Amino acid sequence: LTIYRQVWNCSGGLEATMSNVSVRSDIAGLVSRIEVAAGAEVATGDTLLVIESMKMEIPVEAPRAGRVEIIHVGEGAQVEEDQLLVTLVAS
Amino acid sequence: MSDDSMKEAVWAPEIADLRRRQELAREMGGADKVAIQHSKGKLTVRERIDSLLDDGSFRELGSIAGTGEYDASGHLTGFSPSNLLCGRGRIDGRPVVVSGDDFTVRGGAADASIHEKQIQAEQMANELRLPIVRLIDGTGGGGSVKTLETSGYTYIPANPGWNWVTDNLRTVPVVCLGLGPVAGLGAARLVSGHYTLLLRDKGFMFAAGPSVVSAMGTPVTKEELGGADVHARCGSVDDLADDEEDAFAKTRRFLSYLPSSVDALAERVPTDDPVDRADPWLNSAVPRDRRQPYKMRRILDAVLDRDSFFEIGRAWGKSVITGLARLDGWPVAIVASDPMIYGGGWTADAGDKLTRFVELAETFHLPVVHFVDIPGVLIGVQAEKAGTLRHAARAIAGVYQATVPWCNIIVRKAFGVAGASMTNHTRFRYRYAWPSGDWGSLPIEGGIEAAYKKDLDAAEDPVAMRQDIEDRLNAVRSPFRSAEKFAVEEIIAPSETRALLCEFANLAAPLRRVGRSSFGFRP
Repeated sequence: LTIYRQVWNCSGGLEATMSNVSVRSDIAGLVSRIEVAAGAEVATGDTLLVIESMKMEIPVEAPRAGRVEIIHVGEGAQVEEDQLLVTLVAS
Repeated sequence: MSDDSMKEAVWAPEIADLRRRQELAREMGGADKVAIQHSKGKLTVRERIDSLLDDGSFRELGSIAGTGEYDASGHLTGFSPSNLLCGRGRIDGRPVVVSGDDFTVRGGAADASIHEKQIQAEQMANELRLPIVRLIDGTGGGGSVKTLETSGYTYIPANPGWNWVTDNLRTVPVVCLGLGPVAGLGAARLVSGHYTLLLRDKGFMFAAGPSVVSAMGTPVTKEELGGADVHARCGSVDDLADDEEDAFAKTRRFLSYLPSSVDALAERVPTDDPVDRADPWLNSAVPRDRRQPYKMRRILDAVLDRDSFFEIGRAWGKSVITGLARLDGWPVAIVASDPMIYGGGWTADAGDKLTRFVELAETFHLPVVHFVDIPGVLIGVQAEKAGTLRHAARAIAGVYQATVPWCNIIVRKAFGVAGASMTNHTRFRYRYAWPSGDWGSLPIEGGIEAAYKKDLDAAEDPVAMRQDIEDRLNAVRSPFRSAEKFAVEEIIAPSETRALLCEFANLAAPLRRVGRSSFGFRP
């Protein structure tokens, strides 16, 4: 049984298929910093990366606890709204 | 009435017949259709109405309207009820009108309905000045092209009761719940409300459904075409509900902040939250580094009456947070910037959302509290192409037309045309700023390069010169310099905010005026 659900929070769109969590960007902007490495364990609310927009450094936070599976963007990348940033495996 | 007295009554046969017809109508589309509705995890329209309204309060209108079947001697042999129910009931003791589609009869399609019931429900809400809740679960106005064969002619379409649907938006609260697949006329009824939501996983909305769209060449699933998340993220609906109970709970909550019509004022509720509750955390809520955003919703929770904030439209136009709340028990409309989204900059969607929300506040006489952190209208190629400027200007027009009491808390930034539109500046400026206040026509960051281009181009060390200029400008950036000139009316410690807002709500309450707003509300 596949559970498919979309939830929103302040730090990014979240969609979960089984235990995979796709973290998407709420905003267009420049990836100024990546703060986690693939394989890292993160807690809910931890900053995964930072996007620069409107002269602000806006953190993208882990919507739930888990392990960082894939980081889909690099530092310096221009991202669009709704772009996939990080895949987490929820713990 | 006892059975004996019924037997004696002159009209006993007719009363028995009435009861029998009502029994038949309560069977809806029949046991098999009801079973299908339940197997999809959906309630029937009668279960929905019972669940939404106060126990036993439903008074149905048109309870035996439908299509009867008769034998040769004129006796009723079968009955199919019309697939829209309507009537009055109570929510938290207050009278409301409810109308609900019955999906078990022809999939809720309008060809099995009696339009006049829908029209009367809307008109009843309008003339009795009662909120209306539409429970929508069905397809469009035409049903299917098969009706051409049964009616033998075609017609120029008209949307039934639309004068009332439109007039209700400036007269009574309208709540619309999309509880199943909704297309065409049903979709138009769903989005034409003050508070609209779709059920996650079970609510879908389209101008035309996936079979029609796929037949035109692009295969598409109903989730992709009109899933609840699609519409919540573009603002076609205000909210999502996890299940039907959640949808009804949200309906009751939304209505609790509003008067029953524009001819009444929203009521205060008792609260035990002290007006002078001063959360010391507020004095550290905004980071000193201007590039660091913060969680605006946490600030709202700290200053509004405890657990009173009811957010509307969380999934779209996200740089502007909107919702209803209470201050010392008084209902108020809350607007707040979200610095986590484009630093609080206005997108086209955010402008659209703000316009509609100000119209809601004005329509129902709710004082507005606006928590301001606005770096400006969103800039860039994408923003220009999205028509952001006109959408922003539309929101600004709404702010300037509003006559409801208005209060601003400047949390951080107020720059440019959007920042300037935190209020109609020609009204008394009921306004407080936090020490983190930072304002101007243009922000220093990014503004130096433009303003000092000649000097920087000519400089031997442009980096050092840029820093020197920035230091000079920052020296006069303190909000206290503005306060010295009375360019900001008052600077406060953030922890004082709640006490001042409660005072505002109490002062604003007697200033509210009933009646219709000079500008209406559009979906």
